[in-house]
Amino acid sequence: MRHSLSLLLVGLLGSASSIADTGSQLLATGGITGVDGSAGGGITPWAVMAGYASQEEIQGAASLQHISAGDYQINTLGAAVTFYDRVELSLQRQSLEIGSGVVGNTFSALTSGAIQTAPGTDIEQDIVGLKVKLFGDAVFSPSPWLPQVAAGLQYRKNHDFDQSLAISDGSVPLPNTGVPMLLGATEDSGTDLYLSATKLWLGGAWGNNLLANVTARMTKANTLGLLGFESATEDSYQLQWEGSLAVLPSPNTAIGFEWRTQPDNLTGLGEADTIKDIFVAYFPDKHWSLTAAYTDLGKLPFDDDPTGFYLSLTVNL
Amino acid sequence: MIRLGLLIFTALTLFGCASAPKTNLYDDIGGKQTLHKVYGLAINRIYNDPVLGPHFEGVPKRHLRTELTNQTCELIGGPCEYEGKSMHEAHADRNVTDAEFFRLVEHVQQAMRLIGLTYEQENRILAALAPLKEQIVYQAD
Repeated sequence: MRHSLSLLLVGLLGSASSIADTGSQLLATGGITGVDGSAGGGITPWAVMAGYASQEEIQGAASLQHISAGDYQINTLGAAVTFYDRVELSLQRQSLEIGSGVVGNTFSALTSGAIQTAPGTDIEQDIVGLKVKLFGDAVFSPSPWLPQVAAGLQYRKNHDFDQSLAISDGSVPLPNTGVPMLLGATEDSGTDLYLSATKLWLGGAWGNNLLANVTARMTKANTLGLLGFESATEDSYQLQWEGSLAVLPSPNTAIGFEWRTQPDNLTGLGEADTIKDIFVAYFPDKHWSLTAAYTDLGKLPFDDDPTGFYLSLTVNL
Repeated sequence: MIRLGLLIFTALTLFGCASAPKTNLYDDIGGKQTLHKVYGLAINRIYNDPVLGPHFEGVPKRHLRTELTNQTCELIGGPCEYEGKSMHEAHADRNVTDAEFFRLVEHVQQAMRLIGLTYEQENRILAALAPLKEQIVYQAD
């Protein structure tokens, strides 16, 4: 799987880079690539398509992200291709690195203190995304109240659902049981369905451009799917809300905040909470953008308030 | 969650009020004279553009400059009257692509910057012109 993903990525990037320039749409209107691989803000998709493809063009974007929040780190790598400003296809590899302190605490809780220490671990998942623009034009709209609307899906597959954790001496006390299972998740994959509405008001904030996005998501994922999907007591889709509000104080800067609610399928250690961030994105030209954010990942095991920095690099091809 | 909703509502309301220009945009930019300068520069760039140029073969620069100046002047609240063709009519036999539209907008943006309009003025002018896109792109029957 890991191998085939890299091959697919190379294929996608290759086909996108064979097109000479970065597309025709106006600077910054493609947003950035988010944590799930779809174009938009850092933590929520928007109705815009990755890159700057006009209705006649096929363009791509590749991205790298790093979130550092205490004992947890999330790294991502991914690519997206937009066809004719209508369809966006994306692939994303997410990796959650968990510090040894958290793993030790988990074993301690599970074994009533018999096992106290264990090395750190990581949880990886892949996300395949598809987004289709339904109607509207976020920037050049005939009406100031008509947003651009897109529907999307994100298929998530967690690779460490049943990958056992080793303790310090190398032994495996709980065979075929990964972190998501330990926390009570019952599935290793799930598909999110979402609807996004995005609107940019030219000159809407004291002459600066103003962007708002609202996304409604149906999901069964526990903390983005990194902690698996569903639980013994909750196996149905739940409606979650996400939003972004940003001001563009110059042609190549955006400042804003975002939030993303999450279902609470797991109780105890696996409990989730709303993800939030405050970001500054810099678009020097159409080739690339860099985003720095301060983010709150909601809740993670043994950390009720995992906050830290988020860096995101998007390269448009 | 409700608090966040309130915050966004308040923010949007504030931005909404702020976006209603206190002074007239037309006077703010220096009137028709400024628009005339902007389009003089923009049209030179557009006519020299290898992609856009061919669309304007046979269209006298002076004519286009007057039409665009009057149209924009009217749209931003100036004392002008655009008497040219409707946007649909003017683009019916051109079949302008989406990419060409963006290219033209970028030339106009560049011209506004070079003439010395502020970013805020540029955005407000674009906001007045933006709704025209749907009558410009792919208008051939």
